[in-house]
Amino acid sequence: MSSGRFWAWSAHRKLAPFRRLHVLALAGLLASLSGTPAPAADSTAPQHDAAMTRRVDELLAAAGQSGGSTPGPPAADADFVRGVDVDLTAVVPPVAVTEEFLRSEQPDKRTALVDRLLESPAHATHLADVWRDLMLPRMVDPQQTAGIVGVQNWLRRQFVDNRRYDRIVADLLVATGGDESGPALFYTTVGVKPEELGTRTARIFLGIRLDCAQCHDHPFDRWTQEDFWGYAAFFARLQQRNDNAATMRLVDVSSGEVYLPETTTVVAMRYPGGETLDGPVRGTRRQQLAIWMVSRGNPYLGPAAVNLVWSQLFGRGLVEPIDDFGGHNTPSHPEVLDELSRWFVDAGYDLRRLHRVLANTRAYQLSSRHTGDDDPPPELFARMAIKTMTAEQLYDSLSTVGLRPAGEIDNRLADPQRQAFLIKMLTQTRTVTDFELGVPQALTLLNGTDLNALADAAQSKLLAALDAPFLDESQRVRTAFLATLTRPPNDHERSEFVEYLRAQPPAARQAALGDVVWALVNSAEFMLNH
Amino acid sequence: MMRRSKRTARISRRTLLRASGLGLVGTSLSGWLPRLAAQEAHDPKRKRQCILLWMNGGPSQLDTFDPKPDHENGGQFKPIATSVPGLQFSEHLPKLAAQAEHMAVIRSLNTKEGDHGRGTYLMRTGHVPGGAVEYPTVGALVSKELDDQNSDLPAFVSISPYQAFNPAAYGPGFLGPRFAPATVGASQSPVAADGDNYAELKLDDLALPSGVSEDQADRRMRLWNTLEQGFLASRPSQSALAHELVFRRAARLMRSRAAAAFDLEQEPDSVREAYGRGRFGQGCLLARRLIERGVAFVEVSLGAFEPNSVGWDTHQNNFTAVRQLSEQLDAGWSQLMVELNQRGLLESTTILWMGEFGRTPRINEMGGRDHYPNAWSCVLAGGGIQGGAAYGSTTADGMAVADGRTTAPDLLATLCAALGIDPEHENISDIGRPIKIAEGTPVRAVLS
Repeated sequence: MSSGRFWAWSAHRKLAPFRRLHVLALAGLLASLSGTPAPAADSTAPQHDAAMTRRVDELLAAAGQSGGSTPGPPAADADFVRGVDVDLTAVVPPVAVTEEFLRSEQPDKRTALVDRLLESPAHATHLADVWRDLMLPRMVDPQQTAGIVGVQNWLRRQFVDNRRYDRIVADLLVATGGDESGPALFYTTVGVKPEELGTRTARIFLGIRLDCAQCHDHPFDRWTQEDFWGYAAFFARLQQRNDNAATMRLVDVSSGEVYLPETTTVVAMRYPGGETLDGPVRGTRRQQLAIWMVSRGNPYLGPAAVNLVWSQLFGRGLVEPIDDFGGHNTPSHPEVLDELSRWFVDAGYDLRRLHRVLANTRAYQLSSRHTGDDDPPPELFARMAIKTMTAEQLYDSLSTVGLRPAGEIDNRLADPQRQAFLIKMLTQTRTVTDFELGVPQALTLLNGTDLNALADAAQSKLLAALDAPFLDESQRVRTAFLATLTRPPNDHERSEFVEYLRAQPPAARQAALGDVVWALVNSAEFMLNH
Repeated sequence: MMRRSKRTARISRRTLLRASGLGLVGTSLSGWLPRLAAQEAHDPKRKRQCILLWMNGGPSQLDTFDPKPDHENGGQFKPIATSVPGLQFSEHLPKLAAQAEHMAVIRSLNTKEGDHGRGTYLMRTGHVPGGAVEYPTVGALVSKELDDQNSDLPAFVSISPYQAFNPAAYGPGFLGPRFAPATVGASQSPVAADGDNYAELKLDDLALPSGVSEDQADRRMRLWNTLEQGFLASRPSQSALAHELVFRRAARLMRSRAAAAFDLEQEPDSVREAYGRGRFGQGCLLARRLIERGVAFVEVSLGAFEPNSVGWDTHQNNFTAVRQLSEQLDAGWSQLMVELNQRGLLESTTILWMGEFGRTPRINEMGGRDHYPNAWSCVLAGGGIQGGAAYGSTTADGMAVADGRTTAPDLLATLCAALGIDPEHENISDIGRPIKIAEGTPVRAVLS
């Protein structure tokens, strides 16, 4: 049951067909870029989305059969509500939401939950977190908080309005505002260097590693040095300005070139896999790139976005690593990627609908439980992946569970307690199926202030709630489990934990409840999304 | 990223296998055995351990290891002779001067980054900040190569780090949190002086939270164990197994004999006194205890926690501050070398002394010296180092490198070579690009 079969079977397929370059009129496009409305409400969208959901499942099932794999059992309701909440809003669900969901007997309650989460402000915040994380270095520089907040708020506004993804990217590519007024920090964290901006935008928005050809032609892929520098050339006429020491901004200037390394050869602008722009162009170089980015001539934008969202939900991309598309790295399910990408583009690059299609699939709603000795390769998606929460998801989930903020903090990104936690816990690889923390971080989780504050009666909102006099010990244990693990305890756990509470003298009851909460939030089950 | 993830998966499996083979996963607490120094010190192929003495704020080279008594830039300190004829240090470093035969001064650093945050990043990673790659700090790079993972103790311990200039310069970068330091007294901001008592140094978060008794902690772990086993029974994924292993290791370290390494009260008063009572002196003593127990990389910072200033950042009253700092430096570092030598460990331990940059030769109106990355000094000492010499030189006024120009990558490559690590060994970065441990060329003249 190796994955080799898939790879051999699909080796000759093209990832996505190149379409004829469709050149839009410059003036018209730029006008549309400035004020793109949200996708028009389409009353047939839900049916289309449901059909696409079924299509994805069909394709996965067909591939699974030819790969000799049968999907595992579906996730229980409790597992589903937790998984989808963390995946779509980055925090564990509140007890009330879980209770209501578990009680509901509506046949479409999962679909309804997905819709409700996708409409929630928390979902837009989560998407902003995801793209900010891709766009900025992970280490928090305390001096750049304003800029980080600027990137976050800019992104979040786009996602709140559910703007077309292609337009968001285009706007980012021509952005000028910095600090709190825009996303320019994306450019300035890499010193506005064309080669760094080329590298990053190609990886994030196109899913390709053009930079592997920065110094030499790429050994496996088709990219050449001219491809890399031709793409970097779109960022060659950009400068950072700090006027009157006020807000930082970006300015497109009229000169500036990139050169082949160690030569004086100027490299002309070239779209990846597309035409070279030799002559003078209208507008700025970045506008030129933005136009191509959203055009049908760009075969990468849709598949890269589909793959990114897929990897967020499924723990790995259809193409993995997600930023390494190319002939040398065949997708695990080429038809799924291809059909989803077409659908996404035709649906107006609507990220919300893309999330809805995927979150409603049978594949997404599989259990992560291991059954028997069967250990299917992760790229078959025959079982839900177990994903390690990011440091941000972990901290924000602790907050949801009942961590009190140190003071009135307008923006969680500027919360020093949160920043300190993130600096200690930040992981570097984006492989969410690994648990990367080491002993020093475990010591901080076991003994440090954050998790222990949740277990301390004076500081924990959860403990305050559990102290309600109308709850008996069994109900307290149940509520603590629901608040943290999003499930009631099983019989074995209930009897052990209830007995534990009863065994403590009344004076120590609060502390004993704290012990229960401490054990829950330090467990693998809490820190992993499953 | 694919390559990286496969590697990580392979490593974690290997770690798990090794750990279970050593009984680390079971109930046995005997995973750690103290090493016999003599046994290991004589293996010629053995890699060395490393101590970084980090001088926060940027120490003045003219008032420490590159005195200029014949020029007005030289300032008010007198040079003194050392144990090596012709080599002179500042008069405020007499104990170090007595051990100059173990020390090689590089007087010709030329690094170009004159901002605290940028200079700190450059010197500690070998790279200028601002690129797409998040480079690991030198301690993470070195301890990754040197650690044999057989110890309960962390491979990389950072004592009194002052991370505020540039947190990324203290982190494991693309190597990931497994290679992050265990910190002792980390703080984001300067605190008051230590007073008359010995500075208290504790491994951060090693002790139980206040108000939690050992008995209660045991009960907590039993509840935790029920949950952990329940989850592992239905979902024995790599990530869940790694979670269990890492948390058990942490819990065991809290109770293990190994943790006694951090208990400086086990040392007689005479020893504690000889190192100096402050954070730096006691940090050097802790470094010696950790090196004895096989920790691969220990860094001790000086200058982060001085009252009313950020240590060596002596824009005003340079001479008062440097004199005071030199006393701490002289006592702690010299005693560290004496005691390592007594134990046969100096030969197997390489020491690097440096800050983020040097200071201006010209003395400003406030009796201070400002930031100066053009021509400054660092010191290598101990194992792998040809001691008793100065490498490179600066001009008579101290304003420029006269010969032997050395860059930050060169320095890190030299450190690697002294430690027995190939500086050209490559790690895979977070963006999939292979990156050498150090890009520079080792300064052969200071290597033994």
